[in-house]
Amino acid sequence: MARTVKRWLVLLAAVSLLLVNAVPAAASPAPYESYNYNYWKEAVPSPDAYLPERTISGRDLGISEFKDPGDVNVSPSGLIYILDSGNSRVVVLDPGFKLLRVIDGFMMEGSKESFNLPGGLFVDEEERIYVADTGNSRVVVLDGEGMLLHTITKPESDILSTQFQFQPLKLTVDHVGRVYVVAQGVYEGIMQFDESGTFIGYVGTNKVERDYGEYIWRMLSTKAQRAQMVLFVPTEFSNADIDPKGFVYATNIDPGSNEPIKRLNPSGEDVLKRFGYYDVKGDIRFRNNPGPSKLIDVKVLGDGMYSVLDATQNRVFTYDDEGHLLYIYGGKGNQVGTLKTPVAIEQSGEHHLVLDRGKNNLVVYEPTRFGSRVNEAVALHYRGEDTEAVNIWREVLKLNANYDIAYIGIGKSLLMEKKNEEALDYFELGMDRKSYSVAFKRHRREMMKEHFGTFLTVAIALIVILFLTRVAVKWRQRRQVDREAGFH
Amino acid sequence: MKQDFIKFPLHLIFHPIAAFWDLKSDNRGRLLVAFAALALTIVMMILQKQYAGFLVNYIDPRTINSIIEIATVAVPFFLWCTANWAVTTLMEGEGKFREIVLATGYSLIPVILIYAPMIVISRFMVQEETAFYYLFNSIAFFWFVLLLFIGTMTVHQYTVFKTIVTMVLTLIVMGIIVFLGALVFSMLQQLYEFGYNIYRELIFRT
Repeated sequence: MARTVKRWLVLLAAVSLLLVNAVPAAASPAPYESYNYNYWKEAVPSPDAYLPERTISGRDLGISEFKDPGDVNVSPSGLIYILDSGNSRVVVLDPGFKLLRVIDGFMMEGSKESFNLPGGLFVDEEERIYVADTGNSRVVVLDGEGMLLHTITKPESDILSTQFQFQPLKLTVDHVGRVYVVAQGVYEGIMQFDESGTFIGYVGTNKVERDYGEYIWRMLSTKAQRAQMVLFVPTEFSNADIDPKGFVYATNIDPGSNEPIKRLNPSGEDVLKRFGYYDVKGDIRFRNNPGPSKLIDVKVLGDGMYSVLDATQNRVFTYDDEGHLLYIYGGKGNQVGTLKTPVAIEQSGEHHLVLDRGKNNLVVYEPTRFGSRVNEAVALHYRGEDTEAVNIWREVLKLNANYDIAYIGIGKSLLMEKKNEEALDYFELGMDRKSYSVAFKRHRREMMKEHFGTFLTVAIALIVILFLTRVAVKWRQRRQVDREAGFH
Repeated sequence: MKQDFIKFPLHLIFHPIAAFWDLKSDNRGRLLVAFAALALTIVMMILQKQYAGFLVNYIDPRTINSIIEIATVAVPFFLWCTANWAVTTLMEGEGKFREIVLATGYSLIPVILIYAPMIVISRFMVQEETAFYYLFNSIAFFWFVLLLFIGTMTVHQYTVFKTIVTMVLTLIVMGIIVFLGALVFSMLQQLYEFGYNIYRELIFRT
């Protein structure tokens, strides 16, 4: 009897082992490991925020394969425009990823013109397509049907040298029609054109990072040696996007820079908020990585969030408007969802699209429960609806208990509700010393108000007792002295 | 008892020039007090890392290790005493090794006296007030250095300039001792490896 029971127990144990092992095998369908940086700048595992849903190649759409696609853009109406550089065409998809039309050229002055290695495109609210036609040194502006509106060619300006080559790479357009062009070999900043195509000037120059070792070396060198050295020139921008308020987000690929992402206000100053624990620059720690992130594209997602695409590790980093790193996804590889040579990132509804030049396809990522909850909570916080955000933050914490931003979010909401003492714990978990200090100041004042009476009573009582004992001791001593003197 | 263990150390930190002389000439110093000061300093260092308020405590709690804390205070302490003794022996210092240990140990007293209340007060500070925490910690440090300076000067009967030179030299000698120690350790390790390898060769050859 005992033997059969034992046997059953062993069998049960074996089966339970099997079941335990069976579950996690199917738990993570992502071909990459998601992580996030904690307060101590360690990369800690995190739930996946986005998962690859599908890829779209030329064959899937029923046209010839893409060839070195260069850029992708989603118009405000939701149409997806893929710039297929190698085939000199623009492929237009509807929001459901069905082919609408292909624009492979346009009529100009009675003859058919085509693109030559175009680098970037942008579509504005009126469905006008702006193509940076790099090989032809011009920016082509087409209407939604592919009819030519006008072109922007090499600008005539006193501040440009005569040998200046205008080779637009990427561009973005604000709501009044000003065109911001990132051009090749232009160190002065982003070129700005008005709606008629006249050159206005540059915005947002990258500062030269001074290397003092190099500086001293240069002082010690002879003129001939100096002539052979590399020049200290500012780095070029790699890409640009525009947010609904008209601020230009721009990335540069300077490997030494701690500010590779800039948010330029109309006068060209960088106004990006950097309130997170660390620099807004993609990967911050490289133990097994080849080095700092090389940010080649930026996409403003709305509600203050923006994503940047890193070409070193082929990952996407998303930040909120205060500069907190929200989540990281993507990676190098050949599976669906990992990337070979990513060139552009876009957003279509909830989905993120990453264009992969190496695999000639467009990868569609969809948010997981974790990712969409984070997006929701960040959006609510951005709009100032912190009380609503709290419930979502609590759900996020159930999915990832290491999510510092959620603790800070809950803490801030508790602070609004004047629950200062509870907020303290959340700020400590989120390592937000500034907010902790605010909460603690209020808590301390409350405590003092509440207990000041008691405190004062005790203090006065103590002083009185002390005084009385001293008097008593003195009196006794005097009595002693008197007695010895024989007065009593 | 009370005179030697509490009153004199407290008198010393406020009147160092006279008190260090008393410590040397009248034999007022107690080794027990010096070692107690060292032990309490270590305790204060540990307590500060563990219990200082959140706003001033930037220590990753996972990295706190009491053994390492003990080593980071006690090793430099004895290294300083040894190096100082070695230097002053060559530089006609009048201090004995015991007096050097006493002077160094007694100098640590302000650190204890300032750290202890600051740990408690830091828990009730807000961000604007943390400046005071850092200020008092710096005061503790400079007070310690000043006492060490006066102590060295009095114990060895040096001039101000000679004391400064001696202290700098002591720091250099500390470095040399560490370097030599590491060298000897690494050589011993290599010797051991060598012997062990020969042993293994012999074992496996037969």
